[in-house]
Amino acid sequence: MILVPCPHCGPRNVAEFRHVGEAAARPDPASATPEQWRGYLYLRRNPAGPTTETWYHRAGCRAYFAAERHTVTNEFRRTWLPGEVAALAGGATEMGAGVDASGGQGSGGKST
Amino acid sequence: MAEPVPRSPAARSPITPAAPVVVRDGWEVSDRRSSAALTLADCTPVRKFVVRGNGVLGVPFGRAERHGDTLVAGSGPGEWTVFGGEAAPSPEGEFISVVDVTHGRALIRLTGVLAARLLAKVCPIDFSERVTPHGAAFRSSVAALATDVVRDDRDGSPSYLLHCERSAGQYLYDSLLDAGAELGIEPTGGDGR
Amino acid sequence: MSERSPASLFRLGPQPGEVLDRSQSFHFLWDGGSYPAFAGDTIAAALAASGVRVLSRSFKYHRPRGILTASFHDPGCMVQADGEPNVRAAHRRVKPAMDVAPQNVWPSLRFDVRSANRALGRFLTPGFYYKTFIKPQRLWPAYQKVLKRFAAGGRISAGSAHGYFDKRYAHPDVLVAGGGPAGMAAAVAAAEAGASVMLVEEEHDLGGHLRWGGSGELGVLAALRAAVTGQSGIEVLTDSAVTGRYDDNWVAVVQRGLSDVEERLIKARAGVVVVAPGLIERPYVFAGNDTPGVMLSTAVRRLVNLYAVRPGSRAVVLTANDEGDAAAADLERVGVEVAAVVDARRGGDVVRVRGGRSVERVELGDGTSVDCDLLVTAVGWTAPTALLNMAGDRPVYRPQAARFLPGADLAPNVLAAGGLAGDGSLDQLIEHARAVGQRAATGEGVIPDLEVRDHPALFGGRTHGIVDLSEDISSKDIVAAAREGYDSVELLKRFTTVTMGAAQGKLETVNAVAILAEATGRSIDETGTTMWRPPYVPITLGALAGRMFEPIRHSPMQPWHEAYGAVPLVAGEWIRPDHYGDPVAEVRNVRDNVGIIDVTPLGKLDLRGPDVPQLLNLLYVNKWSKLEIGAVRYGVMCAEDGVVLDDGVTGHLGPDHYLMSTTSSGAATVWEWAENWLQTAHRDWRVHVTPVTAAFASINVAGPNSRQLLSRVTTGVDLSPEAFPYMNVRTGSIAGVDGCVMWRIGFTGELSFEIHVPAGYGLHVWEALIDHGADLGVAPFGVEAQRIMRLEKGHAIVGQDTDGLTRGYSAAIDSLIKLDKDDFAGLPELSWQRQRGEYPMLVGLQPVDGSVVPAEASQIVEGNHIVGRITSSRWSPTLGRSICLGFVAPHLIDAGTVVTVQLPDRSRIEATVTPQLAHFDPAGVRLRG
Repeated sequence: MILVPCPHCGPRNVAEFRHVGEAAARPDPASATPEQWRGYLYLRRNPAGPTTETWYHRAGCRAYFAAERHTVTNEFRRTWLPGEVAALAGGATEMGAGVDASGGQGSGGKST
Repeated sequence: MAEPVPRSPAARSPITPAAPVVVRDGWEVSDRRSSAALTLADCTPVRKFVVRGNGVLGVPFGRAERHGDTLVAGSGPGEWTVFGGEAAPSPEGEFISVVDVTHGRALIRLTGVLAARLLAKVCPIDFSERVTPHGAAFRSSVAALATDVVRDDRDGSPSYLLHCERSAGQYLYDSLLDAGAELGIEPTGGDGR
Repeated sequence: MSERSPASLFRLGPQPGEVLDRSQSFHFLWDGGSYPAFAGDTIAAALAASGVRVLSRSFKYHRPRGILTASFHDPGCMVQADGEPNVRAAHRRVKPAMDVAPQNVWPSLRFDVRSANRALGRFLTPGFYYKTFIKPQRLWPAYQKVLKRFAAGGRISAGSAHGYFDKRYAHPDVLVAGGGPAGMAAAVAAAEAGASVMLVEEEHDLGGHLRWGGSGELGVLAALRAAVTGQSGIEVLTDSAVTGRYDDNWVAVVQRGLSDVEERLIKARAGVVVVAPGLIERPYVFAGNDTPGVMLSTAVRRLVNLYAVRPGSRAVVLTANDEGDAAAADLERVGVEVAAVVDARRGGDVVRVRGGRSVERVELGDGTSVDCDLLVTAVGWTAPTALLNMAGDRPVYRPQAARFLPGADLAPNVLAAGGLAGDGSLDQLIEHARAVGQRAATGEGVIPDLEVRDHPALFGGRTHGIVDLSEDISSKDIVAAAREGYDSVELLKRFTTVTMGAAQGKLETVNAVAILAEATGRSIDETGTTMWRPPYVPITLGALAGRMFEPIRHSPMQPWHEAYGAVPLVAGEWIRPDHYGDPVAEVRNVRDNVGIIDVTPLGKLDLRGPDVPQLLNLLYVNKWSKLEIGAVRYGVMCAEDGVVLDDGVTGHLGPDHYLMSTTSSGAATVWEWAENWLQTAHRDWRVHVTPVTAAFASINVAGPNSRQLLSRVTTGVDLSPEAFPYMNVRTGSIAGVDGCVMWRIGFTGELSFEIHVPAGYGLHVWEALIDHGADLGVAPFGVEAQRIMRLEKGHAIVGQDTDGLTRGYSAAIDSLIKLDKDDFAGLPELSWQRQRGEYPMLVGLQPVDGSVVPAEASQIVEGNHIVGRITSSRWSPTLGRSICLGFVAPHLIDAGTVVTVQLPDRSRIEATVTPQLAHFDPAGVRLRG
C-alpha cells in the first residue's frame, strides 16, 4: 500500500487516511447557476497524471491537507496545509471545503 | 425535592478490572501486582484534559514531556493532551479551550522490554529506538482502532501509554492481551500515573 | 518394480552436506504402511529412501506421479498429512507417527479408477468444460455430483481444529528475498554498513544451491552462514517466503513452520528490497516426461547430498550445463550406474520415456534405447522474476542465454542479485551481491557488471509431453489451442489453464511460451509472458485474516443489560440492547409509567468558542444565532447537494459552550464534516470541536412519571415545567454525580429527559434510577421499543426514512429550512428544489387493513410503475394497528389519498396518507407537559 506524506506526521500507510477527492473550487453559492454548482459537486478532470486532491488523516493528526499526486505512479510531488496557498508557485488552487459533497454518509460508527 | 442519595459513588473504567478489585480515589480499580516482565495496566482513572489553541503549551507536536506527576503530550496540531496533575490546566492565550476527557478516554499502560515487539503486532508504526524513542507521541491505528500512543519509560523500562475513545477501551485492552499472550504478558494494577 | 524395497538399497551412508540427524530415527504412516525416517527427512525424501516412487495421481488424467524437482514447488508431491491437505511432501519435514496419505486417488494410489480418464483424453481436451456438460441444463446437479468425485486436491474435515494465525509489522532498512549465497552476502554487506536487515529464505536452512554442492561449495556455505550469524542486525526467517511486493516497498512475507502459530503474515515496509531468489530449474517436454523416475538435476543433487537417498540404480543423464554434469558425477560417486550421459550441448536429445508407473527405458535422439530406472534432465534455468515484475520492471528475454533477465525499469529501491542478475563464478556472484547489499544500505557504491553466459535453448523436445504437470496440460494442447485461435499468451493461459496450478508458472511458463511461440511463428520475446501476481507462494486464508481486528464499543451500562437478558443489536461498532424480551410491553410501560433507555451511542460533540453560532448556521438548515443559554433546538444538516446528512439537537450550555448531538451512525461523519469546514474554508472561525460521544453515558428517561423519577435523584436543578420547559437544557447533579447535562426533548413523544452522565458513573446512575422508581413502574426499554414509539410520533430517522437522494424538502422539514440565511451547506440545491416544486415527499401512511404490517422497503405502485416506498413500518401497540412512513410521488401527497403497496410476495394492499407524520398525539400534548 502506498505511503502518504502527511505534512504533520510524515509518511504513513494510506490506510490511515481518507481520500477526500480531487480539488475543486467552490463557486459562490449566491450567484452560481445550477450547472456551475453541479460541476463543482460532481465533475472532476480525473487525469492520468498530476492532480491536486484533498486528503484527511483520519487515524492520525486529523488534518485536512492538499496534495499533488501523479495518479499513474502514485508519486506525491508536494503537500500543503490550508493557508499555505501563498507559498506555492505557479497558480495554486484554493483548497475547497465542500468537495466531499455527500458528507460521506454511511461511513457509520467509526471510532472517533 | 430529593431524598439524600449516597454521595461519592465509585466510577468505573470501561475495562473490567483484574481481581482483586478495590476502590481508590473514587474509582473501582484492580489491586493486582504482577512482577512479570511484560505488564498491562488500566490507567483510565488518571485525569485527562484536551487543551486546544495556538502554541499554548510549549511541548511540540509529536513529543511528550513530564513535569512531576503531569505528562503533557503534543497530540495534534494545536492540540495537547495533559495527563495527571491536581487541577485542570489553565493556560494563557487568545482562544483556548480545555475539555475534561477523564471519562472520555480509556488509558492503558504497557511496560516491559518486549513492549515494542507486542506493539509491532498490532500497529504499523516503526517502534525502533530511532523512530519512537522515550518522549515520542503520535496517533495511529492500533488493532484497527484510532489510538494515541506516548512512550513514557518508567524506571529504565520501556513503557507506552495508549489511549482511545472510551467505549472501545475493553476492546483495546483485550487486543493487547491477545497480542502479548505469546510474550508472557500479565495484567497489573495501575498506579495512578 | 516393487514399491517396498529394503531401505538400505536407497538410503546412502552419511553425506558431507546431509541435513539428517541419524541419531533420531522413527516411523511414519504412508498410504496404510509404516515407513522409517530420520529427523530432517522431508516426507518425499523418506519415501524415496524406501524406494517409493509413486506419490500422487495427476489432476485431470490421474497419471502416476513422483518426485520431479524435490523442492517446495514439486507438482507431483502434494499429499495429505495429519489431516492437512495439499502438503508439499518435498518440503515438509516428517514427524514421528505422522499420518500421510495420497491425494486425488480413488480408490487407491495403486489402482486409480479415474485413470480411465486417459482413455477419454480426446473428450477432456483443454477447455472441455466450455464445450461439454452444458446441455441439458436440468442435468447440472447430476454433472456436479460426478465432477466433484473427479475433482482434485486434498480433503478438509469440518471438524478440523482452529489454528492460531498471526500478523506483525516490520520496518527493515533492507529486505533480502532469498537466502542463497547472493542473498546471504548482500545481507551481511548491508548489515555491516549499518542497515537493519530482514533475510527471508524459502527453505529450512540458508544456503541455496551451495547446500548440495561439493566440498568447495560447502566451505563457502559454512563461511557465509558464520558471517550471517556473527553479524548483528540481520533477522533471519527460514521456511518463509516473500509473497508479494506492493507500492513503496510494502512487502508481504509468510512465515511458516513456527511452533506456536500456524502461519504468520509479516507486513514489512522495506527501505530497499534485494531480490535474490536464484534460478529455478526447468523441466524438459517430451513423451513420458512426467513418469515417476524422471527428475531434474537439482532434484537428484538434493536427494543425494541433503537426504542421502540413492534415487535409482541405473540412470541416463541429459545435460546441457555444469549442474547436469555435476549431477552425473554425484550419481557415480554414490554407486548409481550412469548408463549414458547425453550431452545436449553436442546435439544429444531424449525423445521418449517408456514405462507406466516408473521409468523403464529411454529412447535417445540418435535412435538408441537405454534400459534404466532414472532419467535426469538438466536443460536450463528459469529466472523467477515475479518480485521484479511486481515492482514495475519488464524483464527482457535473452535468446543467447535462453532466459529472462531484469529489464531497465527497476525502481531505485529494488535491486537484483545472484543468478537472477547474471552469471559468473561463485566468487564473482558473491562480490556482486556484496556491492548490491552495500548500495541497498547506503545508496552508494558501484555495482560490478555480471556477464550473461550462453545456454542452449531447450524447451520442448521432438515429441509431445506434459508442459504443466499441475494442470495436466500437454504441448499438444497448447498447439491445438493456438490453432483454435487462443494464440496470445494471456488467452492461452485462461483457456488451457496452463500455469494456473500449484506451481503457478514457475516450472511451466517459459516452456508454454516457447511452444506457443513456435506454434505461432513468433519469438519468445514477441510472445511475452503472463502477468506475475501475488501471492508468489500459497498462503493460508488464516494468515491473511490474522487476528480479527474489529473494534467493538460498549456503553457503561452494558453489564447491566446483559444481566437483565437484553437481546443484543449490532449497530455499527456498538452493541446495544434491542429489547429485554417484550418490546410491545416496553412501549406500553413508557406510555403509561416510565421507561429508561441507554442511548450512549448517540453522537455528541462539544463545541466551544465565540464563533460556534456561525458554525451551527453553516451546518444546519435552520437559524441558531439567537439560541439562548439554557435552550435546545432541533436541527437538520444537509450536504452540499442538498441531501439530508444528519439531524440532532444542539443545546447552548453556557457562554461560548454548546453541546451538539448527532445520530449514532453519523457521529464520526458529522465531526469530520465540521472539521473540514473549520480547517479549510473557515480557518478564521474560533471554534474547537471535541467528540464526547463516549465521554458521556446517555440515558433517556421517558413517560408520564419521568419527571417524578428524575426528581428523586437529581439535585441542583428545578425540574418543574415552569422552570424547565420543553427544549431546554440544564446541568446538575444526578445520584450524587456532578456535571450531568439534562435536556428536555422527546423522540418518543412522551414527557422525557435525556441525561448525559460522565461515563464512569453511567452504570451507577442507571442503577439509581431503577432502584428509585419501582413504585413508579420504571423498566428499561430498548432500541426496538424506541423505534416503535418514534414511529408513532412520526419522527423520521435519517438514513432509514431518508436516503442518498432525499433532498431537504422531501424529508418534510419545510418549516426548518431557512432559505434567507446567508450561506449554509445545501442552500443552492434546496432553493432550486423549492423553486421546481414537484418532489417526492415523506408522508405518514396507514394500511387500510390495520392488521397488515407491510415489510419495510415495500414498493408503492400505480399499475406497474413505482411511485414510492415504505421506509418504516411497525404494528403500534398504542393505536392497535399498523403504521408507516414512506415516500410518495408528488401527486399522491395529499392527506386521504389511497395508495397501493406491493408486498414482497407480490400481493397488494391499500394504505391511506395521513394528514401529518405523527400517528399519535400530533399536537404533542404529552411532550410539552
